[in-house]
Amino acid sequence: MADGILLERAGIPSVSVCTTAFKITADAMARNLGFPGYQYVTLQHPIASRTEKEIDELVRDALADILRVLGAGLTFREAR
Amino acid sequence: MTTPDVPVVDGADIRRVIEYYYEQGWTDGLPVMPVTESYLDEFLAVTARDPDEVLMPMPHLNKNLTVRIAALNAALAGCLPEYLPVVLAAWDAFRLDGMVSRAIWQSTTGTAPFSVLYGPLRTTLGFNARGNVWGSGFRANATAGRAIRLGAINGLGLKPHVFDQATQGNPGKYSCFIAENEEDSPWPSLAADHGIAPPESAVSSTVIRSVLHIEARHTTAPEQLAREFADSFCRTGALVRANASGFVVLNPEHARLFDKHGWSKDDVRHAITEAGWRRYRDLAASGKEAVAHGTGWRLPADHPDAVTQEVPDDPDTPVQLIKSVDAVQVVVAGAPNAGVSSIVETFGPFDRPPALVKVEEK
Repeated sequence: MADGILLERAGIPSVSVCTTAFKITADAMARNLGFPGYQYVTLQHPIASRTEKEIDELVRDALADILRVLGAGLTFREAR
Repeated sequence: MTTPDVPVVDGADIRRVIEYYYEQGWTDGLPVMPVTESYLDEFLAVTARDPDEVLMPMPHLNKNLTVRIAALNAALAGCLPEYLPVVLAAWDAFRLDGMVSRAIWQSTTGTAPFSVLYGPLRTTLGFNARGNVWGSGFRANATAGRAIRLGAINGLGLKPHVFDQATQGNPGKYSCFIAENEEDSPWPSLAADHGIAPPESAVSSTVIRSVLHIEARHTTAPEQLAREFADSFCRTGALVRANASGFVVLNPEHARLFDKHGWSKDDVRHAITEAGWRRYRDLAASGKEAVAHGTGWRLPADHPDAVTQEVPDDPDTPVQLIKSVDAVQVVVAGAPNAGVSSIVETFGPFDRPPALVKVEEK
């Protein structure tokens, strides 16, 4: 979370991603670094016990959200 | 009947102050001592160090733990002012150790602060190094250890459920500060081994995941005793990283058993290191036979993150888990009354001496 905020401040578009289990800490870190309301993307916890395929699906579902937070008008279109 | 000589105060006022501290979130769950500016000054008076000196910088959290904040939390913890130099040395050792500034106390692992005091200040300040060394019952140990934890909560902002993301934590997080039983040990202290000998005192600090009980009343053979420790060091449940490390907190009876057979402290460390392996088969049974790219954490060989490695033809092939004697530190503590010792599971150091700092007395 801190890295994402510091990169944004350095002018590098970035997206922080964490799982739902870390949301309270993520919000606290954003407040702590003077960026309350900082937008990031949450994935459904857990990660470590999922299969590669399940993680692929999780990321696919989050991609539109990741692009939205990244900004620059990028949108997600499913590859054919 | 005479009235006992006790201070007369308004109990309700004291409770109000204690409750106020709870409301501010400045406790570890137990009541803290009320601290006034003048009481804090008594602490700062026992050190020559600048109150604004930074003991532990945490730039990513926008926090700096200063001497003043450390002193304030020592007072809250119930320390006497004269304990402060020991608490400051403990923080210095944590900084030297490096794990805290690398944000280990934000980690899900949930490590506790662990410090050991060596030298004459143990006696002067009343630190317990003998029976019941892991507590409780001794003010100096209990409050100096608590001063570190409260410093983390209040000074570094590491509150549980927020920046302290420990999945379970461990009981040592309330307080974990012991002293070496130098009087009952056959060997010089760990600090003396590293050049800090009486009249100087020293503190070592690192972060720990658990204190394992080692019940070994059965043998008089030093080789068997060393194997007993090595076996516990190498339990698979402790292996998040590739290798094992920790402190052996030997009770004086075990230390004397080794000494009686002519073993030095280094002989003990070497014997445990040499016996610090598991069979490939045992690691594979728990899915910890390989290590991951990047993190170096243990995982199954068929995991997509696993570093490709050669599977040994013989599943009984030994895999060395204790890589160096630096991963095995020995401290003597406890009562010389039974074959009961412990292993403190750490995150290293794996290849360098422990973080030891001389106590600066004014």
